[in-house]
Amino acid sequence: MGRIALKDIRKSFGGVEVIHGIDLDVEEGELVVFVGPSGCGKSTLLRLIAGLDRPTSGAIEIDGKDVTRVNAADRGLAMVFQSYALYPHMTVRQNLSFGLENTRMAKTEITARIDDAGRMLEIGELMERRPTQLSGGQRQRVAIGRAIVREPSAFLLDEPLSNLDAELRVTMRAELAQLHDRLKTTMIYVTHDQVEAMTLADRIVVLRKGVIEQVDTPLGLYNTPANLFVAGFIGAPNMNFFETTAQGGHAELPGGLTVKAPGDGKITVGIRPQHLRLADDGEEALEGIVTLVEALGAETVVHARAVDGTGMVTVLSGQPGLHIGEPVRVALDHAQIHLFDADGQRIIPASG
Amino acid sequence: MSRVSQFIFRRRGGSGWHWTDIVTWVWLIGGTILMFGPALWLVSSSLKGPAQLAEFPPTLLPYTQITMPVEGFDNPLPLYTVTNEDGTTEVLAEIRRVGTNAQMVDPDAPEDRINVNIANREPLREIGFATDNYVQPLVTNDFLRFLWNSVFVTTMATLITLLTNSMAAFALSKYDFRGRDAVMLIIVGTLMVPLSVILVPLYSVVSATGLLNSLWGVILPTVATPTGVFLLRQYMLTIPDELLEAARMDHASEWQIYWRIVLPLAAPALAVLAIFSVVWRWNDFLWPLIVLSQRETYTLQVGLNTYAGELNVQWHYILAMTVVTMIPVVIVFIFLQRFITTGIAGAGIK
Repeated sequence: MGRIALKDIRKSFGGVEVIHGIDLDVEEGELVVFVGPSGCGKSTLLRLIAGLDRPTSGAIEIDGKDVTRVNAADRGLAMVFQSYALYPHMTVRQNLSFGLENTRMAKTEITARIDDAGRMLEIGELMERRPTQLSGGQRQRVAIGRAIVREPSAFLLDEPLSNLDAELRVTMRAELAQLHDRLKTTMIYVTHDQVEAMTLADRIVVLRKGVIEQVDTPLGLYNTPANLFVAGFIGAPNMNFFETTAQGGHAELPGGLTVKAPGDGKITVGIRPQHLRLADDGEEALEGIVTLVEALGAETVVHARAVDGTGMVTVLSGQPGLHIGEPVRVALDHAQIHLFDADGQRIIPASG
Repeated sequence: MSRVSQFIFRRRGGSGWHWTDIVTWVWLIGGTILMFGPALWLVSSSLKGPAQLAEFPPTLLPYTQITMPVEGFDNPLPLYTVTNEDGTTEVLAEIRRVGTNAQMVDPDAPEDRINVNIANREPLREIGFATDNYVQPLVTNDFLRFLWNSVFVTTMATLITLLTNSMAAFALSKYDFRGRDAVMLIIVGTLMVPLSVILVPLYSVVSATGLLNSLWGVILPTVATPTGVFLLRQYMLTIPDELLEAARMDHASEWQIYWRIVLPLAAPALAVLAIFSVVWRWNDFLWPLIVLSQRETYTLQVGLNTYAGELNVQWHYILAMTVVTMIPVVIVFIFLQRFITTGIAGAGIK
């Protein structure tokens, strides 16, 4: 139970197409995270899966059955909304039981399920309160509880942690991960926060402007981004990009450093800030002027401007004692560079 | 207690008087008189007899003439304070009045008749209530019947108004259908059509459907109010759509969404509309007057009108029954007033 397949899903609002043909398979029990900048269509896609909106074309299958024209309630899915959407005039218990009562479930069964969810989420004492009397974290739990009691084949979560403060977000993230471990139910999770995506996901779907850019495991995305957008989106601080030209198997970076690059023509060289280090004397290096130093204690984030004017960020371990305006020379780990062609697609480096 | 008086009598000028203190006091006292004066006058006048109502200058409190049984007379006689020519005063009872003279008698010595010029006597009165103003219309003039009719019309009309208007408002605020804005515009546009314009066609419709002289003929034409639809729609727009979607995922039918989610959440706006509707229907005069022509179907307002004849107006009954008419509206206001400001502010109308 809980296999979801999207087949060439398209969605237009008025005359504007916002989802341009999405194909995706979500395996049973998987936690898939949709991530992307705002306006990329990730929430729209979730609403299409939920059945709150209808796709303009394409098909949605759950466990092999075409549900494209099936009502939201009859798809066997449960959704946690960004605003939680708890019914303000009902107590927590009524909030949890509302959906079950509508399916004419037996009273004893309803009580049993609510008590289970109450224990699991530690909201047993809050049952007679109303949502306005709860804190943000408690509301979040109730919203998840309302989804759990339905015993759905899959959970759909729309930015569920975005209304919480930073500290609570970390705790709830861990709890969500535990919950998924325990329930083993398919979850589709929408977020714009790449840390949430990286820590929670079995697989991440990176979306941009209604198109899937890449689908992979979190580390797969980090290690082998398929294109410039994914490379720049995953990882913090963002990857450094240097536009240059490849010639005769080599490309030159500002400061005279050369890297291996197959073919000829314009390419972009990407290197993560964590893979840069201060260069030894005489070593080939990238050169620049320090423009900002963010000392975090254990590590220092150094912003610099390379000699050709490109911005360059370096994460150095420890406290190297650099100051604004000083020249800086950084060396790179050649195994860790990413090459992208003129269209922004990844170039598979020739072996050796 | 001293803290209360300290609060009330605190002045900006400290121990002296700043000019704003004076303006404030004059303004507040004047405002109080302006607001409560007419209501108090109405209540106190409703307890005066017809003769006292015609008096000038009017008195603030209702008085009744003191009477006393006197030996040798069947009915109790009214007492007067009479000023004699030598300046002394005594209390005498009046037997009858002839021209400018009154034939009076000393209650202690009923045999001697005394002639007194009416300019030399003052009626002896005490504060008393002419409760007959209330008893007479309510018991013998069918006013209990009118009261019941008014209550029935107001309750039914308000209930139906709330139900139909909230359903219309729900559709207009939460469903996206072709022509929604046009429908809304037409509904709001009808605000500009006064009753007097549609009086004749409306009468024809009510007459054709056989609702003349029936309370339903008063109720049904008034239940669809553009103000109510507009007020409720504006309020319902503030209910987040995600709640409705959550309910939809929770297997709720559209009727359940309306009945169990939207209606309870729109309670403040419904309360405001309930107040408006009660006041409108209760005070309605023109339309009931046209539809209802049989006495047993009269509402209070139409019933009041029966006391205003072409030649003679029975002010004491009108005043008393006006007080009766006011009471329910006041009660509704007391119970629902806390909703008024929030609801009106939310809907952005007055």
